[in-house]
Amino acid sequence: MTNYHFGRGRARLAPYLLLLPGFLFYVIIMLGPSVATSVYSFTDASGIKGAAVHWVGLQNYREFLFMGQASLDNYAALVRTLIFCFCVTTIQFTLGLVLALLVNQRLRGVNIFRTIFFMPVILGAVIQGLIWSLFLYPLGGPLASLLGMFGIHSEFLGGQPAEAMAWVIVVQIWANLGTTMMIFIAGLQTIPGELYEVVRIDGANGWQTFKNVTWPLLTSSVNTNLLLNIIGSLQAWQLFLVLLGYRNGTQVLGYLIFAQGFGQTSGSVTSAFRQGYAASASIVLFFLVLIIGLPTQYLLRRREERILG
Amino acid sequence: MYKRSSVFIGVMVVLALLLAACGGSAAPAPSSSGGATAAPAAQAPAAGEKVTLKVLIHQNPPMVDFMNKFNEQFQAKYPNITVDMSVVNANDLSTVTQTRLTANDVDVIDMFGFSNAAQPYMKNVTAPNWQTLIDAGLLMDLSDQPFIKNYDASAIKDAGTYNGKVYQINLGRVSYSGVYYNKDLFEKNNVKVPTTWSELVAACETFKKANIACMTAGGKDGWPIFVGAYGLLGAVYPDQAKLVEGLWTGGTKWNDAKSLDMWKKMKAYAQDMMEAGASGIAGDAAPGRFASGAVAMFPGGTWYGAAIDSAQPSFKWGYIPFPGGDNADDNKYLFGKYDQGWVVAGKTANKDAAMKYLTEFSEPANYQAFANAVGFIPTQPGAKLSTAIGQEVAPYLANFRVGYEQYWVAPKGAGQYANPYASYYKPFGTYDDAQTVADKVQADLQSGLDANK
Repeated sequence: MTNYHFGRGRARLAPYLLLLPGFLFYVIIMLGPSVATSVYSFTDASGIKGAAVHWVGLQNYREFLFMGQASLDNYAALVRTLIFCFCVTTIQFTLGLVLALLVNQRLRGVNIFRTIFFMPVILGAVIQGLIWSLFLYPLGGPLASLLGMFGIHSEFLGGQPAEAMAWVIVVQIWANLGTTMMIFIAGLQTIPGELYEVVRIDGANGWQTFKNVTWPLLTSSVNTNLLLNIIGSLQAWQLFLVLLGYRNGTQVLGYLIFAQGFGQTSGSVTSAFRQGYAASASIVLFFLVLIIGLPTQYLLRRREERILG
Repeated sequence: MYKRSSVFIGVMVVLALLLAACGGSAAPAPSSSGGATAAPAAQAPAAGEKVTLKVLIHQNPPMVDFMNKFNEQFQAKYPNITVDMSVVNANDLSTVTQTRLTANDVDVIDMFGFSNAAQPYMKNVTAPNWQTLIDAGLLMDLSDQPFIKNYDASAIKDAGTYNGKVYQINLGRVSYSGVYYNKDLFEKNNVKVPTTWSELVAACETFKKANIACMTAGGKDGWPIFVGAYGLLGAVYPDQAKLVEGLWTGGTKWNDAKSLDMWKKMKAYAQDMMEAGASGIAGDAAPGRFASGAVAMFPGGTWYGAAIDSAQPSFKWGYIPFPGGDNADDNKYLFGKYDQGWVVAGKTANKDAAMKYLTEFSEPANYQAFANAVGFIPTQPGAKLSTAIGQEVAPYLANFRVGYEQYWVAPKGAGQYANPYASYYKPFGTYDDAQTVADKVQADLQSGLDANK
């Protein structure tokens, strides 16, 4: 016999009613738009209120995946998205861990460094983009002046696509490194100090301490950070918009969706809005996140169970 | 029992509050005491009632300055109307227009002249944004408004008419295929103003030898880096409507001998003429860079003239059509577009105020002041472009032509390189060889054409 304190009769509904706001919020803000996007992906919707919307079946998917050179360009954007994700995840994860270990020491002024490292997170993408555009200004900006001393010139963000992409990776990592670091710091602070005393008495060196104590007990933080970094970088688009705009050879899927949906693809300011087509690209991105995210989550959870029991 | 009921009632109250908070905001109550209950979009204010007219324009510093002054003048004449003007970046104008029209949160909008319409020879293309807005009933039919008669019939027809009805009054043409040049630098270096491609190449070599950058552009915004090359395109293909038709129907190829010559020149333009670092200059900053005197030439639109004067009033400059051809007679054309125009929200509650606003703006004296401030080539027959840029373009006005980008609609499936842009070349892009670029551009276009057969 279940015994819970809300009693009997109508009062038994109370837990469900308490869940209802959260559930409604999820349906309205998350599930509803997701379902609407999948429906939109089968239409020629422009997103303009009152404009005719026609059911086009799989035409958007055919165009995105199989139609001419544009579809090959889409595959190239997909590959670029994966490269971006791999670079951002690995570098941001490693740097975040290193910084967390450094600023988790009991040193004077360590909070100042924590603040400095975390500060970029609170700036919006526009401010982040502006800061880096100024820093990378090729006509006498700080980095251009420094490189100029060695006779090196670069167009940085306006240069060749591979170089421009590399700079977006740098900015993305800089912008989000603080979050990764803070999650690791939170994890580090849950590790009991006694454990470190024990391994020190046993004569463990720094690497052995990290490998046998810190790393296993950081499992939850490792898993959280990996998933956040992977999903965040797969969906990235704002910094591409702010730093590069629509440039050949630099688009990732997230930005491609925005550009198609809001008529930013041709360099002209009068392009058509193709939100049905953009919705189909969103569904492709959703499956990409799913294909990478689900197995990753499964493996990480198994690892967590193996280590922490 | 009392406790249980309290919990239940408490939960219901919290839920009710949450749902109330999540609900849409109520429609603004009419400020009159009439308490009318009709839909807000159709609810016109009573005569003399206080009205806030929401106006949306794009960022163009001389235009913004003029509009601020005009709004003050308008408000003084109509004290019951308050103009609430928003300014957005040109690249964001279509997105913001769509969002605010959908929310019925704007009355008068600055919209670029109608262009990129589907032509009979185009297959399976998406309607341009302006056409979708009209079809959705979001733009007002202005055909019967008296101020329409103040404008050139051709401008109204070409840039503001759809299905026989007028939806936009276009406020001016601009040319973007010209080059500004620094008169002092030309004089000091004994360089003649170029009228042919070979003279332009020689001029740039002279400047480079004197350690002066030949050309600059606001490359950070993307399109300005290739806008000068529209002059190269124009020298090869003076009839650009015909060029677009030829590209669609196969009569013209981006990699034939004629086009290849253009690609070779574009390579020289991107690699030998444009200054290093131009890709980092913001569009708004480029006129200032040119006015600083550090650069000999600045390929760009006529709208930059006022900004150059504003950056350095004593600076002496001239403006010529980009000399892209080897024959001087081929280089007398100015290519451009219809720029800013006014449209009115189809469901505005402030139609009367909006019409007063456009009527006032269209008064010849006010329009003349606008043309002077912004530097547009006028679309009112009585107006004259008396500014410096007006005098510079006057000899070429008879040769003004609508440019390629106003006609071009890419076939679905075409690759991302299916356009005549100089930015494909290093250091801005990945390519270094004219033939490779020509073949790639044609292949990307052909791929789209084949996919729609």
